[in-house]
Amino acid sequence: MVVARNSAYLIGLTPAALLLSLFFVGPALWAAYSSLTNLALVGIDAANPRFIGLDNYARLFSDPDFWQVIRNSVTFVVGSAVIGQFGLGLGLALLIDHAERRRWWFATVAYAAVLLAWVNPTLIAGFLWVAMYDFFFGSLNHVFLSALGLPPVDWLGSFPMPAVIVANVWRGTAFTMIIFLGALKTIPPDIYEAARIDGAGTWRRFWDHTIPSLRPIVALTLLSITMSTFGTFIVIQALTNGGPGIATEVIALYAFDSAFKSFSIGYGSAIAAVMLALNLVFAVVYLRWSRARA
Amino acid sequence: MSAYSRRTFLKVAAATGIAVACSPAAQPSATPSSGAPSQAKGLTGTITVSYPDELGVKPKYVDQAAKTVQSNNSGATVKVDLQKISDDLYYPKLLLALQSGTDVPDVFHFGGDSIGELADAGYIEPLDNYVNAWADWKQYPDSIKKGATYKGKVWAIPYGMDTRWLYFRRDDLQKAGLAADWTPTKLDDVVAAATAVKSKVTNVLPYALYAGQAASDGARDHAFVPLVWAYGGDVVTSDGKWIGNSAAIRKALAYYQKVYGQGLSPKEILTTTKPWTAMRAKLGDGSLALLFEGGWVYGGWQSKDKSGTEKNVGYVLHPTETSGPSFTIGGLGTCWYITAKSKNKDLAWEFIKTWNNKDTVAKINIEDPHPVARSDSADVAEFKAQQYLVDSTKSLEKARFLPPDPNLSKITTAIQKATGRVANGDSSADDAAKQYSADLKQAIGADKVVEQ
Repeated sequence: MVVARNSAYLIGLTPAALLLSLFFVGPALWAAYSSLTNLALVGIDAANPRFIGLDNYARLFSDPDFWQVIRNSVTFVVGSAVIGQFGLGLGLALLIDHAERRRWWFATVAYAAVLLAWVNPTLIAGFLWVAMYDFFFGSLNHVFLSALGLPPVDWLGSFPMPAVIVANVWRGTAFTMIIFLGALKTIPPDIYEAARIDGAGTWRRFWDHTIPSLRPIVALTLLSITMSTFGTFIVIQALTNGGPGIATEVIALYAFDSAFKSFSIGYGSAIAAVMLALNLVFAVVYLRWSRARA
Repeated sequence: MSAYSRRTFLKVAAATGIAVACSPAAQPSATPSSGAPSQAKGLTGTITVSYPDELGVKPKYVDQAAKTVQSNNSGATVKVDLQKISDDLYYPKLLLALQSGTDVPDVFHFGGDSIGELADAGYIEPLDNYVNAWADWKQYPDSIKKGATYKGKVWAIPYGMDTRWLYFRRDDLQKAGLAADWTPTKLDDVVAAATAVKSKVTNVLPYALYAGQAASDGARDHAFVPLVWAYGGDVVTSDGKWIGNSAAIRKALAYYQKVYGQGLSPKEILTTTKPWTAMRAKLGDGSLALLFEGGWVYGGWQSKDKSGTEKNVGYVLHPTETSGPSFTIGGLGTCWYITAKSKNKDLAWEFIKTWNNKDTVAKINIEDPHPVARSDSADVAEFKAQQYLVDSTKSLEKARFLPPDPNLSKITTAIQKATGRVANGDSSADDAAKQYSADLKQAIGADKVVEQ
């Protein structure tokens, strides 16, 4: 009876569900399985992979680099997604919304500038920052610092994590800004009007009206950017390759390097599975937080 | 919640997909067949020859060989798949094709140090039957034949051998008060020269010592392994076990500590993408004084400024700790392989055989300077006229080689980590040696690692 009533929906959803299973669920299950094997791309393990139970996980958890990698990942996610992209995206959205309401032409220019950073393919964005940071050829050293008469700075060697965070914030802020800008547009101007008549100042109006109106979108945005930042490594790969040492090696890059540099697919899959678990933890925290707030 | 959870699931599934992209659709055969070679003439069918090239020297020789094979065999087609990417990018791509069994080339071109890991994976075809029937095989010295042999079988055909030099800028060293014909007799002389350059010559980097993941194989072949040898040790035992922690390994890592700690080598090596590109360019233009690098690098400098390079770039063998005989690290260079999955191995061999003729081997190694793998190519007048090539070929008499270990990629990662840790100041040499040993045990199995 229920099926009959919902058959139109079910028929509509089936193709999408099949495609998602094929391209997402299937590979995820395959990765989970291969994390329990010693599958490799070279050597005898490539020809005859064996089931090795939880050995990859035992190896991972006893690997001292792994804990450093986790710390790096959390720093990178908090720095570039939670503080950087979220904070800056929100700030820019408020400024642009403010400017748009007053029809300042500069709003469009600012909007386009932030958007341009986003439309770049990630790898290109990475190389743009390489062109700025590079010690030997980079514009930061050879245009700006040299114009000021200052000696060159090894940006990527001396400040590796802040350097990759700045690049990733630049690249990804537009997403958060667009979401918040959309949300700000849904706030009716009458509310502000009424508040102003009641004598509420700028801060009061922001605190009492803007923030509560944006709250539902906050969890969704944080969830989205946290997960995409956890899974990204292209900017880091272009800038530092995870170095110096393992100072900027994040979990996604660690999985990639294990799978495609050491060619240990099983081990790389185990790292990816841990990444999945961590993402789930973040998701649960955010969702609980947003429910508690709702 | 349901909308979120679906999104969540898709995100995590996508994240996990990283390891999935390389999922094998089918396992390759571990026991390749070894059919007898057929007559060279009158071969038919189609083969694909795949090779990476960034330098631009190889394509004309590959195209020429393809053309020759086709004109000698009217029913044969040779498709050339030139990939204009670095070896580092080409290799994972090739491996994914080999493991999945789709788009597998018949012939490919890659470094000879991968023989062990490719053979054990069942990706490549043993060539014994072909080389035994090939008259020119006798032109290859036994040491080179031995290098191409793994588990008693020949797997690849080299043409240009790898050698390495400690390059130095005569002009920079002279400014630092050293002789233009500087000849280090011990390892400390290198540090002393670098220190002199650092204190007396402005705007010149003293020394580049490759370390860390960014340095790729350079951290292994151009730094760590020769340093361990220079300190009287080895990285692998005669029975194929890797040495995890030894006095020589600790000394080699302490050398890194000294060089990076005193600011003699730029730390940018640890973060720059392809740091060798910048370091080679800098030695070429005189803004770097000392660099242990591949013999092939000389050609790039020479083609840019022949007389300047011959005047200012000196090259010597790697010195040891105690003024023992200097040495270098050799390698099989880039080789031609036939894939186990090739459906037309005879035609594949015909291509390799045609390519590796006396003249091509001489000419390509003049353009992209390497010692020649064929003895008769060294007799070609044009080759003999180049002093640098004569010296390079001679250097192989002093060369030591790494065995074609099937775990080489994993071992290289452990070397990169150990050298990166010390160079970045994250670990002392002793701690890094301990961790190197632990990393090796984890990566290749404790039974394959010894400590001395």
